[in-house]
Amino acid sequence: MTLYFLKNIRQQYAARTVLDIPELVLDAGRIYTLTGPNGAGKTTLLNILSFLEAPTSGQMTFNSMSVTFNAAAMRQLRKSVILLDQHPILFSTSVYKNMELGLKFRKIPRDKREPIIRTALNMVGMEGFINADARRLSGGETRRVAIARAMACKPAVLLMDEPTADLDIENQLRIESIIRDIHRQSPVTIIFCTHNLVQGDRLTPHHIYLFAGQVRESEHENIFKGEITTKNDRQYCRITEKVLIPIPATDKRDTKISIRPDAVRVADRKNTDPESQMLSGNIIGLSSHKDRVRAIIDAGILLSLSMEKSEYDIRNLRINASVNIEIDPGGVTLF
Amino acid sequence: MGLIIDFDLELIEIVKVSLNVSLASTVIAAMIGIPLGFIVSTVEFPFKRGVITLFNTMLALPTVVIGLFVYALISRNSVFGDFELLYTQKAIIIGQIILIIPIVTTFTLSAISRIDARYRKTAMSLGANPFQTSLVVLKEARFAITAAVVAAFGRVISEIGICMMLGGNISGYTRTMTTAMALQYDKGEFVLAIALGIILLCISLAVNVILTYFQGKSSG
Repeated sequence: MTLYFLKNIRQQYAARTVLDIPELVLDAGRIYTLTGPNGAGKTTLLNILSFLEAPTSGQMTFNSMSVTFNAAAMRQLRKSVILLDQHPILFSTSVYKNMELGLKFRKIPRDKREPIIRTALNMVGMEGFINADARRLSGGETRRVAIARAMACKPAVLLMDEPTADLDIENQLRIESIIRDIHRQSPVTIIFCTHNLVQGDRLTPHHIYLFAGQVRESEHENIFKGEITTKNDRQYCRITEKVLIPIPATDKRDTKISIRPDAVRVADRKNTDPESQMLSGNIIGLSSHKDRVRAIIDAGILLSLSMEKSEYDIRNLRINASVNIEIDPGGVTLF
Repeated sequence: MGLIIDFDLELIEIVKVSLNVSLASTVIAAMIGIPLGFIVSTVEFPFKRGVITLFNTMLALPTVVIGLFVYALISRNSVFGDFELLYTQKAIIIGQIILIIPIVTTFTLSAISRIDARYRKTAMSLGANPFQTSLVVLKEARFAITAAVVAAFGRVISEIGICMMLGGNISGYTRTMTTAMALQYDKGEFVLAIALGIILLCISLAVNVILTYFQGKSSG
């Protein structure tokens, strides 16, 4: 069932258009990732989807109902949608009082609050902290309580802005598993921003890619910045000391490039020529999307590669396998 | 010391008047200054910076200027002359309110401004209406705001200009600790002046202990 339907949604700050979405459909009950470079409009989209911000223009339906962007209507809609900030805030009181806040705003009677709070804290493994001072919690604990605080309100949608940013691996995996558990146990739709494509793939096959305020196909996901250099009469974009990406002819000196994942290929030949700019790396993520397989390769930079399922079957690729990769300059866009 | 220990009646009366007017002016100034500071910090309006500068300037307002200003308004032949406020405790309270509203307002304003915008956003996303959101933000700034009120009390309990000019130093009625001390000094009778000085310092110490407590809470 369609949960959000966005039509011609535009957001402008002064004269700058930060978001321009002709159409976007999000289905209920799914997990979506929202990826894209910094400044692509991810946070703005999250603010609009969480009814905290009205777009400059455009139409939107939520649960098949047309959304009116006035303060009272948006406030009503916010009762079923909760946004978790990148660095969530817990108010300077006890964990219990923090958890109680959303329930109070929803006029849940006082005697019904405690069991709800206990269940929600249990879901994130923080039940032992119910009476703790929220200001004394660590970064990971704060996020878990913030997730529980949101889930106690039983929202239809949980939006999260980079829920695992600045956390150590252990806490990242913990938050991921909480997201998975929440999704399994309740019919909530989860939309979260991440820069971590591997994490995104681990949690869901549904990705929304934003670039310069627009929803794009995922081919634009390999985005890098570098300086142009010429070697053996061919032009490359130098991303790091060792990583050179072949590019179409240009007279720019510095550039941003995007590489279509299907222009990144696993090379058949061995990398014997030291002059060749072939890249070597390890496969760190594999996922399947319809008839294609996507691989994330750590080659000094993280590259997303897309191949036919048949090719994947022949190559017998697996996690941690080393591969040599070639990039077709035809699939590289300069901007 | 003997005066304090023996609970000298005149001394007790003076302390009572001082506490009475100071507490009244602090409570009223807080009731006006806290919402004012909250509104100035959260609502966008034209000349907002100018208004903030004005409040900051008013922090340096000398008590004698306020005394003169209020005197001009409440003396027998002036606009509010009919209310017969001059040389009453009410007159002192009015003057002191004008003195400390800028303190409470600017301190509240800076306390609210220091509260991260994410607090407001979090409360809103959890379903709070504008009033509930404001309440959550005010609660977050509660220690700093309480510190502002305590500081304002410290300012009025120790001021002399307004008490003298608007209260008139009438024994048993508008004689406060500071005006009594000035009078005793003029008369060359230092015993009561020193006793009052000790009490005033004790009150100041208590105020500062409370202030430090709240400032500690606010930064922790």
